[in-house]
Amino acid sequence: MSKASTMQKPSMEPRFAGITFFATSHVGDVCGTNGLPLTPNSITIYGRSQILRTFSHPNLCAYLDIIRGKHERTMIVLEYYALSLSSAQCSISEQGIVKLCQQTLQALAYINTFGVVHRCLAPDNILFDSKGNVKLFNYGLYYMTGQGGDVSFPIGNPRYTAPEVFLVDSQTVSGPKVDVWSLGIILAELALGVGQLWPELKLAQLMRKVLSLIHCNSDTSVLSRIAREHSCWTKYESLPKSLVALINSCLQLKPSDRPTPEELLKHPAFLEHDIANLEIHPFERVEGVRGKEHALSSLPLQELFYLWRLAGGDVQAELKKQGLIRTMPTILSVPRLVLLEGNILGKRRDQTSLLDLKIIPLSLDTLALRLSNVPVSAYYPLIETRSEIIQDDDECDAANLPLIIRERDTEYQFRRIVLFRRLLEGYPYTRSAIIREARRDIPPLYRGAVWAALLEVEGDIDAHFIETDKETPTHTDRQIEVDIPRCHQYDELLSSREGHRKFKRVLKAWVETNPQYVYWQGLDSLCAPFIYLNFNNEAKAFACLSAFIPKYLHRFFLKDNSAVIREYLAKFTHIIAFHDPDLSNHLQEIGFIPDLFAIPWFLTMFSHVFPLPKILHLWDQLLLGDASFPLYVGLAILQQHRDALLSSGFNECILLFSDLPEVDIERCLSDSVSLYCCTPRSTTYRQHERVVVKTPSQKNRPHHPDLEMSAQTVAELQAESCPRISGADLLDLLDAVKFPRPKVLVIDVRGPELYNIGSAPGSINIPHTRFDWTAEIPQLPSCPEANTLLQNRGKILVVAGQGDSPQAAQVAQVLLRSGLPRVCILHRGIDVLQLGNLLTKPSST
Amino acid sequence: MTPTSEKVVEKKFMFEFPTLTTDDKHQFEVPIHIPFSGNIRELAQRLITLFKVPVYIEKDLEEKLKSFVDKETLLFHDTVAEDALKKAQNGEIDAEEVIKKFERLFKEETAEYADPRGSTDEELFATVYHKLVHSPALEGMLQVEHSYSIAVNEMTTQRDDELASLTERQAKEMSDLVAGIGEFSTEADVNLLAARHCEDQNMIQAKINSQIDSLQETQRREYRDWLMKLLEEQAEEASSVTPPTPSPTHIVRHLSNDVSSKDKGKGGSDISSDVGNNPGLEESFTIHLGSQMKQMHNIRIMSADVLHLCKTHLSSKGGMDMQPQRLQTALALYSNDLCGLVLLTDGLISSFSGTTKDFISVCQQSTEFHFPSIDDQLEKIREGVKETAAWRQEHWIAENLSISSQQWRRASSSGALRSGDVYVTRHSNLNEVHVVFHMVIDDSLRSSEINSRHPAILGLRNVLKTACSNDITTLTVPLLLAHHITEEMTVAWCAKRAELVLKCVKGFMIEMASWGGSELKNLQFVVPEGISDEVFVSLAAMLPSVFRVSNPLVFKASSTPITPKTS
Repeated sequence: MSKASTMQKPSMEPRFAGITFFATSHVGDVCGTNGLPLTPNSITIYGRSQILRTFSHPNLCAYLDIIRGKHERTMIVLEYYALSLSSAQCSISEQGIVKLCQQTLQALAYINTFGVVHRCLAPDNILFDSKGNVKLFNYGLYYMTGQGGDVSFPIGNPRYTAPEVFLVDSQTVSGPKVDVWSLGIILAELALGVGQLWPELKLAQLMRKVLSLIHCNSDTSVLSRIAREHSCWTKYESLPKSLVALINSCLQLKPSDRPTPEELLKHPAFLEHDIANLEIHPFERVEGVRGKEHALSSLPLQELFYLWRLAGGDVQAELKKQGLIRTMPTILSVPRLVLLEGNILGKRRDQTSLLDLKIIPLSLDTLALRLSNVPVSAYYPLIETRSEIIQDDDECDAANLPLIIRERDTEYQFRRIVLFRRLLEGYPYTRSAIIREARRDIPPLYRGAVWAALLEVEGDIDAHFIETDKETPTHTDRQIEVDIPRCHQYDELLSSREGHRKFKRVLKAWVETNPQYVYWQGLDSLCAPFIYLNFNNEAKAFACLSAFIPKYLHRFFLKDNSAVIREYLAKFTHIIAFHDPDLSNHLQEIGFIPDLFAIPWFLTMFSHVFPLPKILHLWDQLLLGDASFPLYVGLAILQQHRDALLSSGFNECILLFSDLPEVDIERCLSDSVSLYCCTPRSTTYRQHERVVVKTPSQKNRPHHPDLEMSAQTVAELQAESCPRISGADLLDLLDAVKFPRPKVLVIDVRGPELYNIGSAPGSINIPHTRFDWTAEIPQLPSCPEANTLLQNRGKILVVAGQGDSPQAAQVAQVLLRSGLPRVCILHRGIDVLQLGNLLTKPSST
Repeated sequence: MTPTSEKVVEKKFMFEFPTLTTDDKHQFEVPIHIPFSGNIRELAQRLITLFKVPVYIEKDLEEKLKSFVDKETLLFHDTVAEDALKKAQNGEIDAEEVIKKFERLFKEETAEYADPRGSTDEELFATVYHKLVHSPALEGMLQVEHSYSIAVNEMTTQRDDELASLTERQAKEMSDLVAGIGEFSTEADVNLLAARHCEDQNMIQAKINSQIDSLQETQRREYRDWLMKLLEEQAEEASSVTPPTPSPTHIVRHLSNDVSSKDKGKGGSDISSDVGNNPGLEESFTIHLGSQMKQMHNIRIMSADVLHLCKTHLSSKGGMDMQPQRLQTALALYSNDLCGLVLLTDGLISSFSGTTKDFISVCQQSTEFHFPSIDDQLEKIREGVKETAAWRQEHWIAENLSISSQQWRRASSSGALRSGDVYVTRHSNLNEVHVVFHMVIDDSLRSSEINSRHPAILGLRNVLKTACSNDITTLTVPLLLAHHITEEMTVAWCAKRAELVLKCVKGFMIEMASWGGSELKNLQFVVPEGISDEVFVSLAAMLPSVFRVSNPLVFKASSTPITPKTS
């Protein structure tokens, strides 16, 4: 069966189409009220129109994408059907007209609930799907252009425009009733069978005609007047009374007499006619008989469009190819004079910038061809069971390529998207599977939802967000308003007015719900990725932020967070020392301490220092790790610039890091993962980390509290150069069954008399007294044990002393100075091992 | 149009609910702006918190609030619309006026109703040229252009030679005559002779100029015809090997053969003199701008005569060795990667002097095949300036730029442009430039005390903005805002000026990133020729330091805790 479908010629009807228009560009030097330059109108439109992508109604064409071109061009991709009311050549039955009216009204009523008015309802914007259902097209133009304010062209087809639209001044916003008038004219055309009203009139005459209708007196309806003018009185007389009544309510002159789409849906005509199973069109459906539908048709349109773009689909190029985007060479339209005030004279109006609402269908053939080898089974991956019959299909070729390439590979993304869609549908039940798959990579299309799943966002987040007060002014507002226009503004979404509004609302909601915390600069950057990914769902962005902060930045937003931050930085210093003693020694020597550069890294989890595309990849990985993972990311970043740092002095280092140089994120992440994996957990213990209540399954190893880590003061942490390891972690590493080749070497610094009574298995004894502590830089004493130590370079070196005496820390520092990696100090000293009776008598060798 | 005062109205929302224990009713009242732009459910929640009302009224309140807002919004729309309808019915609004307004809008803004307009001659030629220049015909085309310009150049040289020898002859005649004053000539004779000389001069000049004009006219026509033919042939026989239409060059060659020998050694005017290809000192950098998302730009500083970028350097011996820059300029002419140059000039565009005058003669050195000749372009600009003066008169009150009223009056009364204004000319026959921004400057630029609000800096911003919205991706700017070394240019003066210009341009470039136009890929700063090496080196060193981007987040020392910005 799968064979048959793959053999089929990969050809599909276009499922979406593009349209384009220009926004007005700002002239002169105008600034906004905040003193910053005005946002270009195309960006405002871009931000505003995002909400349209969430509209979903059986009688609406879905908005798939909004694309910004150069010089204020906006391109829009919408779901598309080839047949429109203006292209349909056949006449529609009276019942069909009623049904068309009903479906159109349903669509209008739906968009009205979002405050959207069509304003350019006309036959060419009424499309029909293959079942003959109405699909309204381009209904967001008026809304997305700020009720026409951001564009220079008038919105609406003069023939169908309600008279009051012409008469009110241009700043007045149209209400939902103007669409009802337009629908009335369309219905009148259909009912009277005239094709188009006043077909021979020129533009001005046409508008004069429309405006003359306002002089209809109360006893002649607009419809009867139109019927008389088009000499189809007999046809008018023969129309069913209910249809006439319906049209008459649409064509009420006074808006107060005219119902809204919602009200009109209650019209008796819809009850009188039995239209539930009626097909509006008697037309022969050519595409219906083409046989089996292409497997791709089963994908949601949003996915189809995403894949289309991956397969090389370029909306602008397509519109250009089909002649909708024509460009005049720029040199022909350069202005003659540019005045000091910013006025421009003598610039030729580029005729190609006029509004042309031609619809350009976008061909799916390339995508179909690209995915023609994908078996049907790939469209329905098994996620819970394994099947003997359907074989686990061969992996996609791209699976082992770098992330950047995988994200651009059509077939690979196809498989990932299908898989993740199915997994996400099962969330939270499928959470573990989502985590497993996310370790490989996260498909960009579903990143927002996957992140929410990783952050365990669930429950009624919308209600919670609605309850939160985001409007009442607070004393943080000013700072928030200053920060937002400086946060990732290269991004079109985040720099749009709508983006700023969302930023403010989410940030205010967070401040409101976290009274124990304050707004710190940097919170805006943390918020940015979530808003970017959940632009149409503030509640989810807020829920993600609310889950993210306790997980990675617990207590970072306290009013006095210095203890938390300093503990964090001390741990960072320890981790550098643990893994890279040379770098650590150098940085210590020149005094380039993490406090000078790493605060914004950790306070914003790198979201302040990287551009969004990099943050997304970084956080993909971060969200899978625990609260200590960022430390390793920091270390990996340092190591990428290791050579530069090692060869630089303090000033050069400050210069180098004042603006973070390029970082290879993918390498940085794989480095941090491997660093993370070879570091004992307890070395990154922080007292300010959120205590995660362990699930019973993890609690299989109850330990004496002394074997676990406990809090140290910041001063203590800073005094020690190496991290501490807990007794529990050491015991784990000493487990001979788990690690047949020992991974750890214990250096016992107590006196030999104590050492000989009992020590850790395999440990060596270099008593503290053996070191020359009077030397300026104490050296490792020369003795056989020291040689053993050097031979074991690369193992985790645990320096253990008597209790918490400072001797162990001193010895550890000497080891670090001599360039030995992975040195740590046993927390609470060798004594803790006594608890488990784990001390053995050293074998006398 | 009447301004709408009723764009937003305030309505009072009243809510009443019973208490469970007594018969009393609680009620509260809130003003709501119609049309309401927020979220009704959120508002309901806020009201519950604000009035401390029990949550069980939540659903009730939401419903009431929603129907209230819906009702009021509809009423609002209806009132506005009905008001307008009524006014139209009783004639307060002139329907014809409205129709005219909308007719204009539809005709000017929509393709459906706009007057059908075919491609202009200019656009057609642009298409043809762009197509051919990206075809194998390119080399031939450039050679033809090259030999054409040689011909024009020879003629101008001839004109200058003839004028020079005439002047010499006249001077001799005059001195002879003057020497004989009182003996065999009178002062009247001298005056007569002077008048005749002048007439002769003008006549010869006019004669040769008209010859040049007609030559350029012929060239232009020939060239355009030839290109059209070439395209037709290309279309007809895409891959056949029949010889293409011979280029019209042979005519030119023939025409020019006899003059070329004279040209040798004389050097002619300074325009045709061989300047050599090397513009002296030069240094380039690649920089990144932006705080997180970084944009790459190329920045170059060089010491050269600005006109060097305009002159096509002819080698009169043959058409083969033209400069590679010409090729680049020709290829990019109708593309989205134009090259621009900022040329400083004074406000007078009726008579030209200095660099502008030299520039005009550079333009006339060869035929302009694509755009109106420089004279015609300037004529158009002069018309524009009149318009400007009128506009400025009108906006006098709104004037808020820091320019003294006297200065302004002087400028506006003479109908001249003022400092910071820019006029733009287009060229196809220059070496590395398509678009020239002539920025008007005045003597105030000599001072070392100018700041970022100086008209010249604002003018520069307008230039960058225009470049950005017109696909000019390579721009050359005089770094010191001067084309020649003058005495006040001390080392300190240069450093101060360069720093100001660099910092401002950097700011404008960052600003430009959000304008949604084309990126400025190459930015060239030119300093006057003859600048000392030390000064050049110090200016060049300034570039990487100014354009080095610094991270805006301030790093704090560890000892002091970072205080929140909240208080």
